[in-house]
Amino acid sequence: MTEGQDRSSERKVDGLILHELGQEVVLPAGARIVTQGEAPEFFYIIESGKVKVFRETADGIRTELTELAAGAYFGEVALVTGQPRTASVEAMEESRLIKVSKAEFDHLLDHNPQLSRHIINQLSQWLVHGDRRLESEVVHQVKLRQISWFDYALMIGLSIIMALVVNIYNDNKIPLIQDWGKGAVPEIALNQALEAYQNNKAIFVDARKSAFYNQEHIKGAMNLPLILFDLMYPLFRFTVEQTDTEKNKAIIVYGGSFSRRFDLELARSLKSKGTERVAVLSPYGGWSTAFPLEGQKPKAPASLPLGIPGYVEWLPVGIFVLILIPPIRRSPYLSVACRLILGFIFISFALSKIMRPAVFALNVVDYGLMPAWGVNLWALVLSWAELVVGLFLILGIRTRAAATLIGAMNVIFIVGLVNAIFHHLPINCGCVGEVGEPVNWWKVSKNAGMLVMCVQIFLYDRFFVLDRGGFTLRERKI
Amino acid sequence: MKRYSLKWAAILGLLVVCLALGGCGESRSPFAGTYRSVEPFVGKSYIDLELKENGKGTWTLEGKTVEFTWVVNDGRIWIYTKSGAIIIVSPGNGGKMLSADMTADWHAGCPPQSCVTFRRVQEGG
Repeated sequence: MTEGQDRSSERKVDGLILHELGQEVVLPAGARIVTQGEAPEFFYIIESGKVKVFRETADGIRTELTELAAGAYFGEVALVTGQPRTASVEAMEESRLIKVSKAEFDHLLDHNPQLSRHIINQLSQWLVHGDRRLESEVVHQVKLRQISWFDYALMIGLSIIMALVVNIYNDNKIPLIQDWGKGAVPEIALNQALEAYQNNKAIFVDARKSAFYNQEHIKGAMNLPLILFDLMYPLFRFTVEQTDTEKNKAIIVYGGSFSRRFDLELARSLKSKGTERVAVLSPYGGWSTAFPLEGQKPKAPASLPLGIPGYVEWLPVGIFVLILIPPIRRSPYLSVACRLILGFIFISFALSKIMRPAVFALNVVDYGLMPAWGVNLWALVLSWAELVVGLFLILGIRTRAAATLIGAMNVIFIVGLVNAIFHHLPINCGCVGEVGEPVNWWKVSKNAGMLVMCVQIFLYDRFFVLDRGGFTLRERKI
Repeated sequence: MKRYSLKWAAILGLLVVCLALGGCGESRSPFAGTYRSVEPFVGKSYIDLELKENGKGTWTLEGKTVEFTWVVNDGRIWIYTKSGAIIIVSPGNGGKMLSADMTADWHAGCPPQSCVTFRRVQEGG
């Protein structure tokens, strides 16, 4: 800052003539002229250059109020009220100012009614503008935090449309509802089946995947996994011919779960190949208590490494440490990080499943929680929902609604995983289409971490977002 | 209006890039060809396996032919059946021998009791 000599010439400020007033100072670009909160000493008139007026919170969030150029003045509010400075002022370029002391300013007001009226008028206008800005900001904040059904309809609708359209043109497409409208399969009651078993009048066929069969099955039952039916049927037929030389045994298929996918479909497939005496055990789960069983001790299912998404997936576990630190827990920057991490995880997981929905549908069946009509629909739409909400999170669009949907998915995943762990289901997670990720408590904690991330985004996300209130970057410019 | 157009363009652009990246895989050429099981399957019949360069393939047992698609990922062959099964096939001896895991449980290896070994009888596809 350089100070010049006392001024004695006339100056014009907003049409007012000021005589013999203050000192001239020249400030370089970036120089701080007034600091928010300090005691007021001077009133400033801009002769040349440009300054910006802003407020700044303790945690560094800056709100720019206005920019002033030659002919404007500032610093009068604190001098009039006697309160600390209400805002900071910084030179945007080299600026020449007239610095008027409080005594001179008071003297000026006392002897220049025109200037007094002008300042009162200016302050009144600021009050009115301030009220409007406040209203505008409140409206913005309300809109920013607002969630409407439209947000959910947009994301879910987009997911459903994409899932249905892509499935039509997908080489690996699946029917929306498996075996919809196909003929009923004859059922055999548990006691009749048990009688046939004891009299050696039936061949029992387990339709489940081999891992389930190996873990526990009806003693002496054959395993024909539905998923390998096309490949293995000739061998199965040969084995049946070897077993049933008199060709008078019925085939009883079992191994259904809540989805009834494996047993019913295998029975239909056998009938379509010309096998006449096929029946499905009813109720589907009764065999495990009524029949003698054999099997091996449960063992961990096969798994393959997940790659980069597998490492990223550990990051949500770290959220449990971060949320212990209050300033970080509430940080909007943490929200941005959470959005990027969740977005990457969900997009990469979705891409691994989208083009091969049949594989994912079988994973859904493995959990035994989805009814038959919902398996394929869920498999088709969930992958697209993961992709869509992942993209919305990364792009910062409707992030609160996107976080809610991802949170809801995580709750469903956690329920499925915990159920699988407690029932010792020999399954892979199915989270990533073609990678056998193990189902264990680590996987549950990863999902729980992602759920916490969703809550953090829901509560504190406000930077780099495009929402109803418009785009919000780091600084709010009013 | 312009802002919304840009937003949707950005979403669609990312979607296309994601799908394009998701569709990438390793070259099938080294493994394309016709294979036959080393031993008759369960002492009954040989399995003929044809892997075509275009990603399609056939599995023939007892005169019954089943079509599937296949890709190469991390040096292994992944066979996808229409029903959703994945059979992981591990190549050996420079691609002349293939070990197919018939558990469909996505084993990186090949459990002996559920492993079918194939020998290449003709290259290309």
